[in-house]
Amino acid sequence: MSNIIMHIDVNSAFLSWTAAYEKQIGIERDIRQVPAVIGGNEENRHGIVLAKSMPAKKFNIQTGESLMEARQKCPNLLVIPPNYRLYVRASKALREYLNTFTPDVEAFSIDECFIKFTDLNKSQSLKLAHKIKENVHEYFGYTVNIGISTNKLLAKMAGDFEKPDKCHTCFPEEIKDKMWPLPVEDLFMVGRRTKSKLNKLGIYTIRDLANADHKLISALLKSHGRLIYAYANGLDASTFKSPSPIKSVGNSSTLKFDVEDYETAHAIILSLVEMTSWRLREAKMMCKVVSISIKDKDFGYISRQYKLPYFTDCTKDIYINICRIFDKHWDKRPIRQLGVSVSDLEEAKFQQMSIFKDRNTLNNEKLDKVIDSIREKYGDTAIVRGVFANSELSPLLGGYPDDEYIGMSSIL
Amino acid sequence: MKILNTPIKMMAVFNSNGNIQPIKFRLEDKVVTVEKVLKVYEEKIVGNKRLVFVCMHNEKDIYELKFEIDSKIWYLFKK
Repeated sequence: MSNIIMHIDVNSAFLSWTAAYEKQIGIERDIRQVPAVIGGNEENRHGIVLAKSMPAKKFNIQTGESLMEARQKCPNLLVIPPNYRLYVRASKALREYLNTFTPDVEAFSIDECFIKFTDLNKSQSLKLAHKIKENVHEYFGYTVNIGISTNKLLAKMAGDFEKPDKCHTCFPEEIKDKMWPLPVEDLFMVGRRTKSKLNKLGIYTIRDLANADHKLISALLKSHGRLIYAYANGLDASTFKSPSPIKSVGNSSTLKFDVEDYETAHAIILSLVEMTSWRLREAKMMCKVVSISIKDKDFGYISRQYKLPYFTDCTKDIYINICRIFDKHWDKRPIRQLGVSVSDLEEAKFQQMSIFKDRNTLNNEKLDKVIDSIREKYGDTAIVRGVFANSELSPLLGGYPDDEYIGMSSIL
Repeated sequence: MKILNTPIKMMAVFNSNGNIQPIKFRLEDKVVTVEKVLKVYEEKIVGNKRLVFVCMHNEKDIYELKFEIDSKIWYLFKK
């Protein structure tokens, strides 16, 4: 008996959760039965489709497209704002429930998780998956897809076979029949750009990729190529991660207007860094790598990082270094979205003294502590940096409304 | 039966064994005494826990009271 891994994926998560909640509080419409989407705030330019109902899917509405495009496809589309607190609670409740079956529950994103069993055979696992699926529907009021296999990759692939409300298996011996006929872009980690590269090589299905020349793929796509080649053959060596200490802290925001000058951009970076470094200090960590991501108005995207010669958790230190990378790499195209993040974290218990640090750093660190405690006591905006006084910019920017929100990841 | 989901002012007994017993509540300036609780169960739709009390009035009318654990608010759900 080998390990059985199941991948549990909530069907159109944000929408199903909202629908179930609306039903619970007695709203009589069912947004699952009409063309409806969960969408962000259009005034703040967060107006994209986050989740869609099945009837909305019939209008060919895609997750991630703008609400304007979606409305053109379906004029009387119902748009509902997101409620992140609800999603965090729903996600947590689901994981708590899954925990009653096995201690090995790994959250993969807010609406997906993996669970592992070591004492089941294949038919038992399918039976159990059906039971879990039915129970989730009964207790929590929404449907899930469950994929069953022996590793995480195959379980995730199986979960995506057919939706909604289904259980699928994809054991290694079933790869040839179930996974290989699918188009190559359905494979995990094959996106738009990899797809076009593979298509040029005449690779259109997962079977083509699995039977392609390993050297060719490896030379063309480097380590990513070797990864998807292994995935196409159903090989995935990833282990189960227990809830680990955080690896990076980041923060990004789509801006209300396109930014075209350094001054405004720096101010926005500062507001993002304020939030990020605060969270870093809350977690009692220090960082060594700082990075910035810039998305311009045509959705071109770059991300650059810089390794500091020392560890820091100081707002000003992080801010100055991020501005430096920003100034070096920004091509002056109007910016739509900015993001900052810090990684290579270390616990802030001890600190190596460094001769590279700015002599004001010690004072700045003290200042950070004072600012943090003022904010904790009197609210987030009780004390703000001077650049934000009399400006339209928000002094703290970004962040999910709840720290327990699980972000997206591409690492199995 | 109509779905209302209105928050109400409730008087209830919290027993030492953890059981909760609704006694009476106020509805539009009228005080309604809970005569009989037929069934109590917990619902946890999308993780939002509520205790559901199915009650009977005048020996025939069924209505539902719900106690939301997180917000600690009582609702008259159906009448």
